[in-house]
Amino acid sequence: MTDFLETTVDKFTFKVATDRSYTSEGVWVKEDNGRFRIGLSDFVQQRSGDVAFADVKPEGKVLAAGDELAAIETIKVNITYSSPVNGKIVEVNPAMSDAPEAINQDPYGMGWLAVMEVADWEAQRAKLLDPQAYFKIMKGQAEEEAKKI
Amino acid sequence: MMEKNKKVIIVPCSGIGKPYGTVSREAAYDVTEDLRPRQTQLVPLALLVLGDEESRAVVAENQAITIDGCKLACAAKMVQQSGGTIAQEFAVLDFYRTHKDLKPQGIAELNEGGQKLAHALAEEVTAVVDGLLSANEGGENA
Repeated sequence: MTDFLETTVDKFTFKVATDRSYTSEGVWVKEDNGRFRIGLSDFVQQRSGDVAFADVKPEGKVLAAGDELAAIETIKVNITYSSPVNGKIVEVNPAMSDAPEAINQDPYGMGWLAVMEVADWEAQRAKLLDPQAYFKIMKGQAEEEAKKI
Repeated sequence: MMEKNKKVIIVPCSGIGKPYGTVSREAAYDVTEDLRPRQTQLVPLALLVLGDEESRAVVAENQAITIDGCKLACAAKMVQQSGGTIAQEFAVLDFYRTHKDLKPQGIAELNEGGQKLAHALAEEVTAVVDGLLSANEGGENA
């Protein structure tokens, strides 16, 4: 069972799953039987709003960390998210074409974007944030957003 | 089954400043002012929220179609809380997913895509209105 760090900013509560690594823009990576599942954080999905479309790069696509992984269109914004790691996409979540609202409903579970094969994971993980570090950054981002309201 | 002479109530989203809420209201105006003005009645969500007795009574006595701008589904929730019966719920976001080329933008005034989306949504709402009236009148549609 996944544990979460949790904070409430204004009237919004944001969770950070503690069993994965993150980028500062809120893309998570979780090891899953030697492969790596990628998704978006709870804060990212709440800030972005209801997802209308999610266009994830196709299976077989080789990406470097920082390359565009997915383009998401929500009721508020069109935004692209970068791959957190170097690797090859081996699976795209079919829900992204059928029911992309899964990102909003279950960002750390059913709303995953893709699964990647990653070489040299330990070296790549060292460039990512642990949950506590992302939680701190996310909280700052959420507080900045709250000031705009 | 609706009783004869009853109207279909249309309750759109009240979200101000958001394109999807504006689409819901434009679609509701299309239906109630242009496409089926005699057979439908728009009830503003704000009046239900404020507990306006007349609006609540109208909703409670007629079948309603709700058009929500986001997943909070305030229109559907308020109709239910007002004792109304929802014949069909529409969600602008779900409708947009089937009309990807009609991206709504703009707030006070929708862009062309948003206007077309609103009109297409209004056509679907009208079809539901006709279906309800047809069921009521034994196939004699307005």
